[in-house]
Amino acid sequence: MPEKSIQIVDLKKKFNIGFKRNEGALARLVSSISGRETKRELEVINGISFDVYKGEVMGIIGKNGSGKSTLLRIIAGIYEPDGGKVMTRGRVEYLSGFGNGLSPRLTMEENIYLMGSVLGLDSKEVKKKFDEIVEFSGLSNFIYTKVYQFSSGMVTRLAFSATIHCLNHSKPDILLLDEVFGAGGDIDFEQKAIKKMAEFIKQGSAVVLASHNLNIIESYCDRAILLEDGEIAKDGDPKIIIEEYKKRSI
Amino acid sequence: MNLKKISKFLKDSEKILRLGFSFALAQFKVRNEGSYLGILWYLLEPLCFFVIILLVGGAISQNSAPYYPLYLFLGLIMFNFFINTTSGATRAVTSNAGLIKSMNVSRESLVISGIFQFVFSHFIEMLIFLGFMIYFKGSIGAFIWYFPIFFFFILFVSGISFMLAAAGVYMNDLSNVWNVFCRLLWFLTPIFYIMPPSILLQKISYLNPMYHFINIAREIIIYGRMPGLFAMSCMIFFSILFLFAGLSIFKRYKSRFAELV
Repeated sequence: MPEKSIQIVDLKKKFNIGFKRNEGALARLVSSISGRETKRELEVINGISFDVYKGEVMGIIGKNGSGKSTLLRIIAGIYEPDGGKVMTRGRVEYLSGFGNGLSPRLTMEENIYLMGSVLGLDSKEVKKKFDEIVEFSGLSNFIYTKVYQFSSGMVTRLAFSATIHCLNHSKPDILLLDEVFGAGGDIDFEQKAIKKMAEFIKQGSAVVLASHNLNIIESYCDRAILLEDGEIAKDGDPKIIIEEYKKRSI
Repeated sequence: MNLKKISKFLKDSEKILRLGFSFALAQFKVRNEGSYLGILWYLLEPLCFFVIILLVGGAISQNSAPYYPLYLFLGLIMFNFFINTTSGATRAVTSNAGLIKSMNVSRESLVISGIFQFVFSHFIEMLIFLGFMIYFKGSIGAFIWYFPIFFFFILFVSGISFMLAAAGVYMNDLSNVWNVFCRLLWFLTPIFYIMPPSILLQKISYLNPMYHFINIAREIIIYGRMPGLFAMSCMIFFSILFLFAGLSIFKRYKSRFAELV
């Protein structure tokens, strides 16, 4: 029996969100001067329980606003739950897009070191990985160019290469991917990036992957859950869950 | 068990400091990027301000303190460090909203990066001060004492910065309020003037930690006089107290930052 990497019991989360109340002119004037908006409570996660085992790749699907990102952020420790328990074993990494921490006014070399630090590597470790990152990105002629002079495709290449190589080096025990698989950009690099990502998630970490791309969920996940209004509507084989999601979406 | 906890604490602290240093270095580079004079501004800016205050403030106080230029410059750069670091701290978390929502990056490192950044520039200002010390034939040996004083000053400023960074998430107006408060504190602290004989002003100054830090630094470095044991103990005690208070407030509220920014 493989060990549990993530254990979630009766998880609850609510947010105070702003909304427009039907109120009089005076009340509206007061709130516009004070800058404070009227808020109401919104339950985003409502009593979710599941486990993820070591080496398992679990997919999460659901409509926008169903609670996918919030769930991942709670597991990552970015948000605090309002109820229930989250237990994780080992080092957790949450990834939502690439290029977080990139500074456009710095050179590619400086940015690789900066992103390495953000991902928990020291400068010696980044130095070891540096050539590999540059080679994978295909941007060896631009090492000393400032990133604001890059095209958006070049930024994607740099961000993906640096992130994936640094993460690969630090070997997280739990990997949470929020709408992240592949890199975007041109076809050549996208294929290379998807291949790298697939290699990466099959290395033995427990992976939770939230995505609207159903092909990716079907191809790479061992199991999937369907989230609906902050609750698990169905849990099981990715093919069956995807069919259920399609049926409910019609 | 306790050893394990201590070792984890040290490892985590090292990671936070390292990340804070990397952010600070990046911000330092970005700040100087594209500037014609670059790092020279760190020398020119305090020097220009010093000359202005020397002329204006000197006229008010009639330069009555011995070694008045040294007295003024040391007060000026210590207060600059305080105001720059703490003002930046009020926005340290909110200005990095994107980063803390998308990665589990340590929130402490965002505050520490601001502190490191102004420690870099403060060291450059200290070089000018050292130049003045040589010019005015001050004791270079006494200058060494600045390092332990500055160490405790950093602890004190860090404590305030952590408190402000946490409060800044909950109060959008904090940076404006803090700027006004700092202006008031600037006039209440004897930086360009000598402590007047007014009992009321003296009482206010005794409650002002900035007065104590600047006064201790001036006494030791410029005038070669060792302040009393009580004053020194107060400096050490309050530095550590503010640091722990700041860290514990920050720790208590940091788990809510990502959903509030």
